[in-house]
Amino acid sequence: METLDGTEWDVVIADTGFASSLLALSLSRSGKRILHLDPNEYYGGAEAAFSLAEAETWALRWSESTDGATFSHASVTKPSLSGDSKLLSSRAYSLALAPHLIYARSNNVPALVSSQCHNQLDFQAVGSWFVLNPFDDALTSSSRLIRVPSSREDVFQDASLALKAKRALMKFLRFVASYEEQTETWNDSRDQSFSLFLEQKFGLPAASHEPIMALTMSTTPASSTTTGFALPRIAQHLRSIGIFGPGFGAVLPKWGGLAEIAQVACRAGAVGGGVYVLNKAIKEAAKVEQSDTIALTLDGNERVSTTWLCGSTETTRWTGCTPAVSEEDFTTISRSISIVSSPLSHLFPPTSEGGVTPAGAVVVVPSPDASEPPVHILVHTSDAGECPMDQSVAYASVALPSDTGYPRLERAISDLLLSAEDAQPELLWTLRYQQRTNLSTQALRESGGLINLPALRDDLVLDDSVLDGVRQAWQSITSEEQSVFMKFEAREGGEEEE
Amino acid sequence: MTDSTASAPKPSSSVKLVLLGEAAVGKSSLVLRFVNNDFQPNKEPTIGAAFLTQKCQLPSRTIKFEIWDTAGQERFASLAPMYYRNAQSALVVYDMTKPSSLVKAKHWVAELQRQASPGIVIALVGNKLDLCDDDDPEDEAQDGENAEGHEEEAVRKVSTAEAKAYAEEESLLFYETSAKTGHNVSEVFTAIANAIPETSLKGPRTGAGGGTQAAISGGQDTSRVNLNARGADGAAKEGCAC
Repeated sequence: METLDGTEWDVVIADTGFASSLLALSLSRSGKRILHLDPNEYYGGAEAAFSLAEAETWALRWSESTDGATFSHASVTKPSLSGDSKLLSSRAYSLALAPHLIYARSNNVPALVSSQCHNQLDFQAVGSWFVLNPFDDALTSSSRLIRVPSSREDVFQDASLALKAKRALMKFLRFVASYEEQTETWNDSRDQSFSLFLEQKFGLPAASHEPIMALTMSTTPASSTTTGFALPRIAQHLRSIGIFGPGFGAVLPKWGGLAEIAQVACRAGAVGGGVYVLNKAIKEAAKVEQSDTIALTLDGNERVSTTWLCGSTETTRWTGCTPAVSEEDFTTISRSISIVSSPLSHLFPPTSEGGVTPAGAVVVVPSPDASEPPVHILVHTSDAGECPMDQSVAYASVALPSDTGYPRLERAISDLLLSAEDAQPELLWTLRYQQRTNLSTQALRESGGLINLPALRDDLVLDDSVLDGVRQAWQSITSEEQSVFMKFEAREGGEEEE
Repeated sequence: MTDSTASAPKPSSSVKLVLLGEAAVGKSSLVLRFVNNDFQPNKEPTIGAAFLTQKCQLPSRTIKFEIWDTAGQERFASLAPMYYRNAQSALVVYDMTKPSSLVKAKHWVAELQRQASPGIVIALVGNKLDLCDDDDPEDEAQDGENAEGHEEEAVRKVSTAEAKAYAEEESLLFYETSAKTGHNVSEVFTAIANAIPETSLKGPRTGAGGGTQAAISGGQDTSRVNLNARGADGAAKEGCAC
């Protein structure tokens, strides 16, 4: 194996997480000399995808809480089943740390298409949204799980809605369709409770808020979700429907969520001439005085120099260039990944006649206490390429630390399984972990050649800030016009690379 | 190009293929022969990585190979894992005049069996048959370059029997090829295309026929969403103009 010692680079990227990999993709035809590292032996960083064995190794590594680390309190449970386990071989699974859904209206979609990435990716529909009310003996199973009407047609056909509620809901949906032009209706309520807004402006009774709230995918408690947050989210949901086909508006990347996009982006980086080295962390970085280079010391004491150093906050935090962050800048969420012994087909009604078969569903489990956050569960079928046929994967998260969050997740998953119509599904395997997200890094930060790329938000929707940050980083490095960002010709046909 | 876009639409599927093997065994040359029907006698080593596509017509369907060339130079052993992730097929190449390259090929086969998708189709290919005149096949010297070209003294060092026995043991497809003459090159790719199980090409649920072709690429995997369905700039339909 060759050494990196003494090499010079234009750009060193410190990890292969989602944002860093998109940066590599954006620079893949820039002619820059790029060294793309990752401290782990796998691609994807905090957005990786794992086989069962890899996930178990990962859980062991993050079982304790390490100062400043993104992940902690990780553990795997395998409920002992009567008879032999239905778990298949480790590599039959590809479990995503970032199973985020991508709305058709997100800025990420045009970038994936114009950069030619979509040719190597498979996307699938996230079909239905549900509200799951906590198990209660008084309710029958069918009334606990309610499908959210997500279009005006849906509302119209919904027999469970009273005429008056239907009319109010229609009025609200019409308003959302052009809420930007109607600031007089909502501007004063921007920073106030969205529930209050629905009640006061549209006469929507509290009972009808949960389905509307579900569409926001808000991780905060219902009582603290603001109108200013909720309206753009609901508008994005509604406006995305139908763009890629009838009856759905969001997609998921097949084979392991954002990890798959990150890998495709890295492959584009490699084809563009970038050098890839896994298992290689940066130990030290120092600005060389009176020059515009940064001297880096890597694992194994190899020394390299670069003009730009980019990466997530976590992989670049040792540099001392990172501004101090306080504890308030972080949110803590509890997450779990569960393998279920059933396809949970009741969550995947067809998106429309003859339309695509959905591979994803969203289940929102509100807390009975409006001051507590809801649990969100993304369920993926085996079509998503993450588990074998006749099983499914449930990704759950709640914006609470592990001590209070894990019981909520457990309860939500067990309620979800109780809602199944078929033979009682079993939990085959569960990974739980706590994740810290630095909210102050949602914007890009740059100083003296060091660029901190934005982190993903703590919810399960891929929002636009990540790509915006990558665009800024790309622009700083290349000084190119914004209009050519991620615009590439297909590298196809029979042309050999130069 | 080989495809005839005018013919009645056959189902078309993309197959990801990763190319592995020691440096200088002729990986890129094999692909160049397959894709362009061309050969460069003194090709520079592939630096970094390369990506090419080529269609392969089978009687019942069209397979579009997406070929990822890891470059045997691979200096830091970090490209291969991202290349064979989700690959449906792998071409592991050795040079039949160089026994050490078969050792390396066996290493790659083991790595694939340990790490790659469980159903991956692996083809073991011994290249540089043109340098081994012991069992030179029917005349394939279409470029004329091969005409009695004995400029190199190299001869076969890996017997067909040895490599074939290993391939059978590991359930690999096996071919001996010459990227220079083109011998057996397209046969390798056709054999791989035929060996890809139907189930890994189609979605597990076959849709109720036709349906919304705009959104469902190829009309077979009913769960696949085509991001180009919004018709961003008219140019994009399923697949590419190659």
